[in-house]
Amino acid sequence: MVNPVLLIVVPLGLAFLVPLFGLISKKTGKYFPILALLFNLLLTIKIFPQVLSEPIHVNIGGFTPPFCINLVAGPLGILLAFLIALVGLLVAIYALSYIKEKNEEKYHILYLLLLTGATGVVLTGDVFNLFVFFEILCISSYALVGYFGDKAGVESAIKYLIQGALGSGFILIGIGLLYGQFGTLNMADIASNIHSVEPISIFVPLVLMITGFGVEAAIFPLNAWLPDAHSSAPSSISAILSGIAIEVGLYAVVRIVFTVFGASSIMMFLLFLGVLTLLTGELSAFNQENIKRMLAYSSIGQIGLIVFALSIANMNGITGGLFQLISHTLGKALLFLAVGYMIVHTGSMNISSFEGMGKKMPYTSFFFTIGALSLVGLPPFIGFPSKFMIVKAAIFKQEILYTVLIILVLTATVVEAAYFFKVIQAIYFKGEAKKEKRNRAPFKVLIPLFIFAGLILIVGIYPKLITNILESSAAELISRTDYIKSLIP
Amino acid sequence: MSFAEFLNNYMYYIGAFGLIFIGLFILLTKKNLVKVIIGLSIMDTGIYLFLIAIGYVHEGTAPIFSKPGLNAEGMVDPVPQALVLTAIVIGVAILALALTLAVKLYKHYGTLNLRKIKEQKW
Repeated sequence: MVNPVLLIVVPLGLAFLVPLFGLISKKTGKYFPILALLFNLLLTIKIFPQVLSEPIHVNIGGFTPPFCINLVAGPLGILLAFLIALVGLLVAIYALSYIKEKNEEKYHILYLLLLTGATGVVLTGDVFNLFVFFEILCISSYALVGYFGDKAGVESAIKYLIQGALGSGFILIGIGLLYGQFGTLNMADIASNIHSVEPISIFVPLVLMITGFGVEAAIFPLNAWLPDAHSSAPSSISAILSGIAIEVGLYAVVRIVFTVFGASSIMMFLLFLGVLTLLTGELSAFNQENIKRMLAYSSIGQIGLIVFALSIANMNGITGGLFQLISHTLGKALLFLAVGYMIVHTGSMNISSFEGMGKKMPYTSFFFTIGALSLVGLPPFIGFPSKFMIVKAAIFKQEILYTVLIILVLTATVVEAAYFFKVIQAIYFKGEAKKEKRNRAPFKVLIPLFIFAGLILIVGIYPKLITNILESSAAELISRTDYIKSLIP
Repeated sequence: MSFAEFLNNYMYYIGAFGLIFIGLFILLTKKNLVKVIIGLSIMDTGIYLFLIAIGYVHEGTAPIFSKPGLNAEGMVDPVPQALVLTAIVIGVAILALALTLAVKLYKHYGTLNLRKIKEQKW
């Protein structure tokens, strides 16, 4: 049996080997992320069949739960670990030629630590361990936002840091309150005792933890940092932040709400929060001039849609939400990477400077268009089946409230389509059509873009490829008694 | 329960949450970035104190069965202390990064007044 703990240990170990090998040659640093993430990708693929039949539990230190720190590699955890490894690997290939600063070693160390933290969050089965991995993720992303050290980057990084640190303080208070009441930190153990105390005394830690993780997940009133941080970070980091960091924050919220607290009464609140996040995100994105800021606001909108779908809290809803999560990760990573090289080419983030880009950078523009159409939700791309599943879940609920909310959601999608088509129009149909020298992005950059676009197309045409995995992941969230029983006999 | 008895039982929690709210107040109201970071640090200290207070046993000893006749009731819970050690390390990392960014921000803007640093509009 392959031990899932390697998914965390290998990137962590390789991250600290980067400066050591840097003493021999400065060039080696950039290949470490590729090595580590390729390993993770292959390992997750190898243990997928095993996990689908039965979750793998790793008890660290040889004690049995609830006395040890444990890792739970369930279908949901491994699915997200796979996604992190895949996106991380492709972005690392992109960064080979994108990151050319002097101290590129620092970038690669922080990048590996960020992904280690993300993998740890999705695999852990212990509340405090969740907090620690979450902090590894957050601290490395604060540093990476300000990596270029320019005016905008540093300002956004400090804004992000202060809000994030406040959020993690709240999480820690919540963990303290939970430990004080239950005397344990194991998620399954807390979950099995959660209804034995008065509702008010678990309400306070629940609210504190949703607030704390919600800062990273960019749920509506807590997302002030996101547009700044995503637009001023290096494009490869924007792709990771948008495609992985906020999804991992969302995973933490979902894991806490569904598994640990089993709080079905808070779903209605999250439902409205999701729709509110969606509307504010999409409407703010509509009148942005800066393309990266527009994509950042679009991420807020997409997160709102995912929160909405997950809060429907039945099989269809959660499956649709997870599908939308995957579709957003692939689509938004592709968009940020494509836009990254367009910005390198034009030197400006303004949408109007992209006019005539369809002639100048045909491949990059083409991949950008695929990503945009997928996020809008047009067939045959992955955005279509995922959004369709969410609409289906809301209508099958057969309640007037859900029908009204899904109408709002679809309205927001139309707004999304409007601003993406505005950019596509600028790329292909504006600007003079004079023959310019074609300025292609380097080959190393086009490979990850091509793979992302290919995945979007393949899963979009044949969604059955992953619905099976998504359904067993959703089942893991819904049936919390099974989760508890598998750990605490 | 008399007031003195109440204080005796809950002093640590009152102190911890007092520090947390003082830190939160500084964080939310001060304009100077360094003061904001100090507020963050005070808030973190309050949280550490709160965690320690959870595991505190009056006149308890270290949880090591070194001498015969020791029983578990008289021992301090070691888990919150382990948590606090980890949390302090994380807090130091955040503090160091925040101060580094503050230095960089001062180089760019020549001021630490957060009301004047607003190039990134909402």
